[in-house]
Amino acid sequence: MTTFLVTIGIGLSTAAILALSAVAFTLEYAVSRVANFAHGEFLTIGAYAAYSGQHIFHQSVAAAAVIAAVAGMLAGLALNAGLIEQFRGRNSITIFIATLGAALIVENVLIIVYGAASVSYSFGQGRLHHVGPFLWTTTDLEVIFSALAVAGLIYLLLQRTRFGKAVRAVSQDRALAQVSGIPARRVIMQTWALAGAVSGFAGFVLADTIGTFGPLLGFNFLLLTITATVAGGLGRPYATLGGALIVGLVIQISGTYTSSAYQLVFAFLLLVLLMLFRPNGVFVRRSATEVRA
Amino acid sequence: MYWVSVITEAAVFAILALGLDVVWGWAGDFDLAFYGYLALGSYMTFVLTIGKPVAPVQYIIGGHLPLLLAMVLAVAAVVCLAAVIGAVALRNLRDIYFAVTTLGAVSALYLLVENYTPLFNGYNGVYGLVNPGQTALNLTYNGYRIVFLGVVLVILALAYLLVQRLSRSPFGRMLRSVREDERAAAAYGRRVFSAKYRAYLFGAALAGLAGSLFAIFISAFNPSAWTPQELLVIYAAILVGGRGNPRGVIAGVFVVYIGLVELTRFLPSPASRPDFGPALRQILIGLMIVLMLKFRPEGLFRERPGLDGAQGLAARLLRPFGTRAAPAPAGGVPAAEEQAAGDRGAG
Repeated sequence: MTTFLVTIGIGLSTAAILALSAVAFTLEYAVSRVANFAHGEFLTIGAYAAYSGQHIFHQSVAAAAVIAAVAGMLAGLALNAGLIEQFRGRNSITIFIATLGAALIVENVLIIVYGAASVSYSFGQGRLHHVGPFLWTTTDLEVIFSALAVAGLIYLLLQRTRFGKAVRAVSQDRALAQVSGIPARRVIMQTWALAGAVSGFAGFVLADTIGTFGPLLGFNFLLLTITATVAGGLGRPYATLGGALIVGLVIQISGTYTSSAYQLVFAFLLLVLLMLFRPNGVFVRRSATEVRA
Repeated sequence: MYWVSVITEAAVFAILALGLDVVWGWAGDFDLAFYGYLALGSYMTFVLTIGKPVAPVQYIIGGHLPLLLAMVLAVAAVVCLAAVIGAVALRNLRDIYFAVTTLGAVSALYLLVENYTPLFNGYNGVYGLVNPGQTALNLTYNGYRIVFLGVVLVILALAYLLVQRLSRSPFGRMLRSVREDERAAAAYGRRVFSAKYRAYLFGAALAGLAGSLFAIFISAFNPSAWTPQELLVIYAAILVGGRGNPRGVIAGVFVVYIGLVELTRFLPSPASRPDFGPALRQILIGLMIVLMLKFRPEGLFRERPGLDGAQGLAARLLRPFGTRAAPAPAGGVPAAEEQAAGDRGAG
């Protein structure tokens, strides 16, 4: 029982990181109708930016997190302006392939700059804390609380501000939002900046939790992110949080009772099963628009 | 001898690209599982021919079959795997949903192969198929490489003729009609799933054949030898050559593959940065994919008109893509429908 609860605890910390990454992915999809395969690179860029910056600010975890978020934001803006908007109006699979190409470019630029070998931060993991039945390191606690805080901020931003209203309008129908006087282009740009910043931050906490990371950090995390997003329902930010929780727990529980080497196997099997039985997310009983060609 | 090796490898990839083009170019399904089919074709060829494993090395079967029989069985195994993945992914899923499902399925299997050593010896992979038939044919090492190149080229030519014939057959035309408008094709009585499924199995068989030849060519195989990133090279080649045009696809593979190898061969590779050359090559491939999609999505040699009812198709491919004012994407999917395609899964 203790093992089980500790597992749940670690699962929650994994789910928190996954939630950040998946919410960003789903926001990108919501405004641009793009499944961004270069999303993982935002995480990698954030992680490496924090790596480059960690010595400048005297090992401050907070400063490193901010650097990661800013780098991710810039990457988000650049991808939107340089690629997504350039391919506007093309069909979804074409843009998808283009983002795959972009992912390949970023990944290998990072290999040239930082080398293919793994690097690691010099922050400590902190000591262990018993919180109720769970067992967490200081880093785990920081991750969980910061993820909750970011999720809360995104909720307020989407529900309570003019920007949030505009984002929701654009994700419903870009053309209609445009004729209603919403500056769709700018809203989309801001959304990508937000998604990039969240992803960059997620990349930093992911790298910090794992310990060592390389240029494939984000790409390897991407399929998990997509699994969480699909579990919640693509384009639905709040349901995505639930999706991340499911995937995080499935990985940790299956990993603990078989072998940690197989936890991703279970995650990807879950992805395939979701695609088969619940492609619109586990929280939707039936699709509103059933299309069968 | 350097050139013999480069051309052999390019020819093997061309066979894979022909198979992939049937699935993506004709049937319009962007698949990310094909790297797994090549890998399985390679693995099966090894374990069926190299005999029982010795102590630390572990793998299944360990047969001593004649090479040709092993190749046939390897292709059959690949078709079986594709039959399962295709049945899952092709039934209701399209576009990005299809792509993600195929990638998820093969990633799971790849992780299993890497971590479960009794299957194919895990990360270390299998090896030991060194120039089969060299002694029987009484050839020198170099002579063998040349003969093998000849064999690969003959197989490529046969594959090309088969694909070309299929392209002009009613089956090929049906696939293209399904690609252009699935609902219209269904309304005219075409069985959409069955058409796509058969195309998928055929494509996978060619990928398995390529994997089998690849096994003989490199005589060792492990999971890091072949990753999803390598599949992007093939997609880049198809994009450059011209999606849907078999001749263009083969030309594309030779141009892209040999071009890249030659371009990066003479670059200074500093000893401190051994990754520099390969990384630069991948960057060029990424750029090629993005730029081709943006400026010339039909490739250098576009799909050839002259087939029944293909004039309209050619005209569509020639039409400049989506203007800013009206978001009407090429490929005949109206914007409203595109959204519906996302929800298609539950159908």
